[in-house]
Amino acid sequence: MVSKPLLLALLAVASLAHATDLNRTLRDVLFGRPPVTTQPAPSAMGTAPQQAPQSQQTTQTQTERRPRTAELLGGLLSLVGEPPQTLEEERNIGRTVAGSLLGAVPLVRDDELQRYVNRVGRWLALQSERPDLNWHFGVLDTEDINAFAMPGGYIFVTKGLYRQLNSEAELAGVLGHEIGHVIRKHHLRMMQKSRALADLGAAVGRRMEGGSPIAANFMGNFWEAFARGLDKETEYEADRIGMVLAARAGYDAYGLPTVLQAIGHVSANDSRVAFLFKTHPHPDDRFATLSEAVGSRLDNLPEGKTLSNRFYRLR
Amino acid sequence: MTRLRYIATVLLGWLLAWATPVWANTGTMLRDDQLRAAASATAPVLAPVARGTNVEVLARQGGWTQIRAGGRTGWVRMLSVRTSDTAQRDVGGELAGVIGMGTRQADPGRVVAVAGVRGLTLTEQVLKEARFNAQELERLERYAVSRAEAQAFAREGGLVARAVDYIPAPAQARRQSSPWEESQW
Repeated sequence: MVSKPLLLALLAVASLAHATDLNRTLRDVLFGRPPVTTQPAPSAMGTAPQQAPQSQQTTQTQTERRPRTAELLGGLLSLVGEPPQTLEEERNIGRTVAGSLLGAVPLVRDDELQRYVNRVGRWLALQSERPDLNWHFGVLDTEDINAFAMPGGYIFVTKGLYRQLNSEAELAGVLGHEIGHVIRKHHLRMMQKSRALADLGAAVGRRMEGGSPIAANFMGNFWEAFARGLDKETEYEADRIGMVLAARAGYDAYGLPTVLQAIGHVSANDSRVAFLFKTHPHPDDRFATLSEAVGSRLDNLPEGKTLSNRFYRLR
Repeated sequence: MTRLRYIATVLLGWLLAWATPVWANTGTMLRDDQLRAAASATAPVLAPVARGTNVEVLARQGGWTQIRAGGRTGWVRMLSVRTSDTAQRDVGGELAGVIGMGTRQADPGRVVAVAGVRGLTLTEQVLKEARFNAQELERLERYAVSRAEAQAFAREGGLVARAVDYIPAPAQARRQSSPWEESQW
């Protein structure tokens, strides 16, 4: 199922470039041809020619040997600066990764649960600076205790983690942490650190083929990097964002630290937390770091809602 | 004979471990804070509570935790107290009875026994071997919620959006400002 805006965007790009081979057209638009002056359809592949301010500067002097320049820029961008992906590339990378994760573990077969989590998640995301990303939230059918954020707005919580929650505010804190990873593009930044991963990701972002060899190759490298975890500071940052987004949404801001306390009490030998503890600082350290960052900053914040009575309990 | 005693000891240990949360909520102060008469920064200060103090945890209200320390009862900031293993609530609740015990203890036999109940454990290997599942992805995307639906859901719950600034990293807090932590909120 291809979304309507995406279709429209594809059509727009195709007609702009006057070409029949869509794949080549996209590649041309991305690397080969001089940038089109017409403003392309918003929010889709058509925005590729001006994907980053940095690349715009060089387009004036370079037209023929664009591929070289792009490669060079890719290398430079991997060291500093914003992730170069367009919104559409980010989404496609997210779809590829999310589809791969769902190949490992399916969604819990409970429509009401999934809808509930999407409502809470979307309300939280509306409080962020990327309110209209294609946000998707899902509960994964595993007793593992974990949560995942993928580029482009794909967010997952495991059933094992969901079981640890006691209120909507706690769910909000967890989802807010993951939304934090997405709005600050933490995984795209992680990809930037590896040239190979960035290149593959760019190819995946351009193509949309979840099952292609390039995508498979990308996934292998992505999960390897994913399993090493983001750096600690990034996790602490997402914790702070999680509390703030919950607070902005009108919830009790202390849902996330409450969950961190609970998870911190699960034995480190428990296999349910093995992957979480491997990829994140220990929950006790996260709690302590939040404590230091928050200090008295939220003292004047009126108490938010926990909504424990509305919290959807697992069947 | 010794075996029986061993089993009895283990059972007693389990009983104690899982029964404690009901009545002993303890914690340790992570940082210096002040014990206040009510759950508010404007409430009168009863006494200082130093970092490292062991306290009894009684209740939580918003950003405040009610504790008993040095014979006094009062409120400190929620983030100032680290609850100990058995505190606050029975972690894992319903899990404990069904599968928690088997997986918590160093008893390989039990872990194997409950593996079926637990389902898949995510590891790097499992993720690397996963095949892209387009159907499941479509299912996920069908649950997407619109802006308007999310807003209606918030209204139903009495949730009101409010302006709250992003919180800078602890080290940055001492500096004037950080370009990427700023917000108009």
